[in-house]
Amino acid sequence: MSPDGGLSTTGSLLAMAVGCAAASLWLLLPRGESGMRERAARRFGTLLGAVSLTLFVACGRRLGGIGEEVIFLVVSLVAVVGAAATVVTRSPVYAAIWFALALAGVAGVMLVIGAQFLGVATIVVYAGAILVMFLFVLMLAQPTGMAAYDRVSNEPLLSAVTGAVLLGLLTLFIGRLSAGPADCCSFPLKATALAGGGTAVTGQARQDTDPLAADHVARLGGELFGRHLLAVEAAGVLLLVALVGSIAIVSRTPTEEGTVPQPRRVAP
Amino acid sequence: MTPSPLVLDGLVVGAMLLTLGLVGILSRRNLIVMFLSAELMLQGISVSLVSWSRHHGDWGGQVLVVFVLTVAACEAALALVFVLQAFARTGRLDAAAWQSLRESNLPRTIDLELPASDAEPLTFPRLTPAGVEPDHDPDAALEREHV
Repeated sequence: MSPDGGLSTTGSLLAMAVGCAAASLWLLLPRGESGMRERAARRFGTLLGAVSLTLFVACGRRLGGIGEEVIFLVVSLVAVVGAAATVVTRSPVYAAIWFALALAGVAGVMLVIGAQFLGVATIVVYAGAILVMFLFVLMLAQPTGMAAYDRVSNEPLLSAVTGAVLLGLLTLFIGRLSAGPADCCSFPLKATALAGGGTAVTGQARQDTDPLAADHVARLGGELFGRHLLAVEAAGVLLLVALVGSIAIVSRTPTEEGTVPQPRRVAP
Repeated sequence: MTPSPLVLDGLVVGAMLLTLGLVGILSRRNLIVMFLSAELMLQGISVSLVSWSRHHGDWGGQVLVVFVLTVAACEAALALVFVLQAFARTGRLDAAAWQSLRESNLPRTIDLELPASDAEPLTFPRLTPAGVEPDHDPDAALEREHV
């Protein structure tokens, strides 16, 4: 992907990491095995996953300071490990709990990148509302143990390979972004364009768009309710429609299997 | 303008979450776990959007993530209602229970016999009853006049 040797080393490391990740996912996904084989596959898969994550970390870029680097590493590892465990866990209740851990990691990543409001909103909306709803449905629908369909997967090998191809392509593309000024990302910064297209960004424009500014939430709210006011209204209508629709669907109790509920007769 | 290392690492994390969600939604058969995987894909996209927002120095990406959260909440509500209805009809949370909806030229999924699971069923400790159970009428206990 690059003429010099350093990046091709990184490329081969990344290819190894993606391959290890695919093999690890294939080993960890439920395949209807049991006993020693399943335990051995699970251990080997965990080992391969750890190797893959180590390789990814080794290919990572050096961030500014050691503190920022360590914090980003910890929260992103929490997010990725939680996500992988969500996908491969047999019990759906444990999958939901692992998903909560992944959400905590994602919220941490958002905090580090500079989206404080969104990090907190992710915790509140997802972990506080959506995940609890999932758990309610799980408890209603599957109160006991593991079912047979939790112990098998549809085509685990093919889906792991698909994931590896997608992850490989995405990391390749992201690696190319860092290699140099490509045509794909040479758009001028909005602040630069606003400041007259020059190279120097005035202090006012810089302050307007700095995601780490002190009044971050106020600026985000101003953008949300200023430029995107119509979209906010549409989102409110969408929430209302979803509420009404879900109530309308759930209040139609299914009758016998295969029978179509008769429409209510209107008195003449 | 090369993106900063933090932006690139955020993009990689977003790509990983998206891929894991894709693998989950392709391979798992439990309807609830499939929806959890779809939410994972949404999280990956959100992380990528926040990274690009940081890169470009404007609020567009973060505003989009706010709408992603909104749509995810609506989607989860409707999806769970459908899952509950599906469970009420078939008694299982299995995606293959609805395979009569497949294309007519596709073969039918037939589950092979699974080996017996050797996972121990969970056992919970029980307290030994202590003392003597007093005389009481269980029916009368249900008619509580003062609570």
